[in-house]
Amino acid sequence: MWDLFISIFVNVLIWIYDVVGHNFGLAIILFTILIRIVTWPLNAQQMKGATAMQELQNDKDWQAIQKKYAKDKEKLAQEQMRVYKEKGINPFGSCLPTLIQFPIIIALYQSIIRALASTPLDLLRLSRSITLPNVSELIPLNSKFLWMDLGRPESVLIFGFALPTLALVVALTTYVQAKLTMPATTTPGDQSAAMSGMMSIYMPLLLGYFALTFASGLSIYFITSNILGIVQYAMRGKANWRSLIPGGLKSK
Amino acid sequence: MRKKLIIVTMILFGAVFLSACAGGAVRGMSWPGLAADGKTAYLADGPFVYAVNLKDGTELWRYPGSRNGKLTFYSTPAITPDGLVIVGSAGTDHSLIALNPADINPDTKAPVEAWKFSGAKDHWVAAPLVLNNKLFAVNSDGNLYILDLQDGQSVKDAKVVKLGGRLWSQPTTDGERVYVTSLDHSVIAVNAETYEVVWHENLGGAVPGSAILSADGMLYVGSLASKLEKFDPATGNHQSVLDAEKWVWSTPSLDGDTLYFGDVDGNIYSFNTSSGKLNWKPVKPDGPITASPLVQNDHILIATESGSIFAVGNDGKVLWTQQIGGKIYTTPVAAGDLTIVSPLETDFYLAALDANGRQVWTFTPKN
Repeated sequence: MWDLFISIFVNVLIWIYDVVGHNFGLAIILFTILIRIVTWPLNAQQMKGATAMQELQNDKDWQAIQKKYAKDKEKLAQEQMRVYKEKGINPFGSCLPTLIQFPIIIALYQSIIRALASTPLDLLRLSRSITLPNVSELIPLNSKFLWMDLGRPESVLIFGFALPTLALVVALTTYVQAKLTMPATTTPGDQSAAMSGMMSIYMPLLLGYFALTFASGLSIYFITSNILGIVQYAMRGKANWRSLIPGGLKSK
Repeated sequence: MRKKLIIVTMILFGAVFLSACAGGAVRGMSWPGLAADGKTAYLADGPFVYAVNLKDGTELWRYPGSRNGKLTFYSTPAITPDGLVIVGSAGTDHSLIALNPADINPDTKAPVEAWKFSGAKDHWVAAPLVLNNKLFAVNSDGNLYILDLQDGQSVKDAKVVKLGGRLWSQPTTDGERVYVTSLDHSVIAVNAETYEVVWHENLGGAVPGSAILSADGMLYVGSLASKLEKFDPATGNHQSVLDAEKWVWSTPSLDGDTLYFGDVDGNIYSFNTSSGKLNWKPVKPDGPITASPLVQNDHILIATESGSIFAVGNDGKVLWTQQIGGKIYTTPVAAGDLTIVSPLETDFYLAALDANGRQVWTFTPKN
């Protein structure tokens, strides 16, 4: 089942590669856009869920039950569930779409590695994944994109020092995306805001580490995906540009 | 708190899965490289190169003495007339290493490195060609390196010959020219003395196997365009002489005026270079074939991905079969009375068969 999933990814990637004139970097960017379009409703749901949860933190009834049942966790949970139900909020509504992103990232990574086939065994496996005609004319795929080899981690030699530029861009765009999607809060000690703040630090570090360690094709996916995420937020008028300025999140 | 836990779990889950795909010096990244001399089999398989005693299948040494995360081996070792074993790394360390089995380091129990060439930019898949005290070594970076066999340094006045594409197969030579095949669909002839490219031809499909010179002086190459191509080695003029069912991966094997080769659909072809025709209708054993046929006295041995060895007579009839297990992609080698086979996905790394296909010993590394 998983292999079939990978095969579909590989075939779509190679088809795009063929259409765009044998440019695998461009194929990954277009493939990411395609994935973003397919998962647009999920992302929209995630944004909606996150906004609803954030607005709930500022709700007076919500704050009241936090105070009232602070020492009775069981009762607090029951009351929280009641409020969720009343307001039609799914507390995991913002988590599920993120969860779905992970298999896509893993599948994409495996598809890139399989499509670029850096070993004889990989190339043989690739031959079994492809159902497109005239595949022998296409493979092996050209793994070069700009200054990168998409099948390998990227770095640029500057004064003899290997600077991982893509990893830095991945970390930066992840940070910007996370910060922009952090709504302003008026509640001191707001757990959700604290968690969002934590995620805006850990996620750029984690994805930056992935970009540093894994094939640079995956970094292209991360960067494209982050930029599209930022655009999607901005289009909904939800991007909080003030949050990019230190101290900009504090309410006045 | 619960949400936080879910997100942290997700991240860890993703990290573990991605890390699992990242590779490293592990067995099974590709099929092993195998070579043998009169007494020893040399197996390049993942983190180590093993030397195995052909008498009883015991390990004589392994290189490196302990695991080095930067080194991965699956290129076929080349054995020089002086007894050096030359093998390239497909790990993050792109070294071509000459090992001296006659000089074992008492501390590491591994052979001493006679020399090491670190000038390549990508991994080594192909065995180098030894010619006139020189090494013609092709790398996945698309370059042909001409090295001095004595010290592994670039031969004086020899530039790095930039050929392009990924070069995965051992060059072939007639003494005058060196023939290199490339995954960028090319076959290239390089002058063995001046190192100039003599001709460069496109086949319309990648060429993962080597070219072979036949008795009539012609050059034959199989390709992923599913064709057997015949070249004039002097001019590079070429023509397709046979359409295979599927990709031809392996280097054809020559026996007199007959070329044997397989395809990844599992067909075995016997092509007569004199008549330009097949000797018999292709035989289809039990699985895809990437290994070259091993020519014996009156038959050939075929290894299949299904983990079998088939002995096929000169008339195309199957003489015997032996199920080894796992998957066999590596070309078996003949060593005295034995045939050595290196399967993947089995507990053992090597199996030695006698002339009737009976298993004599297997080799499993300790630790």
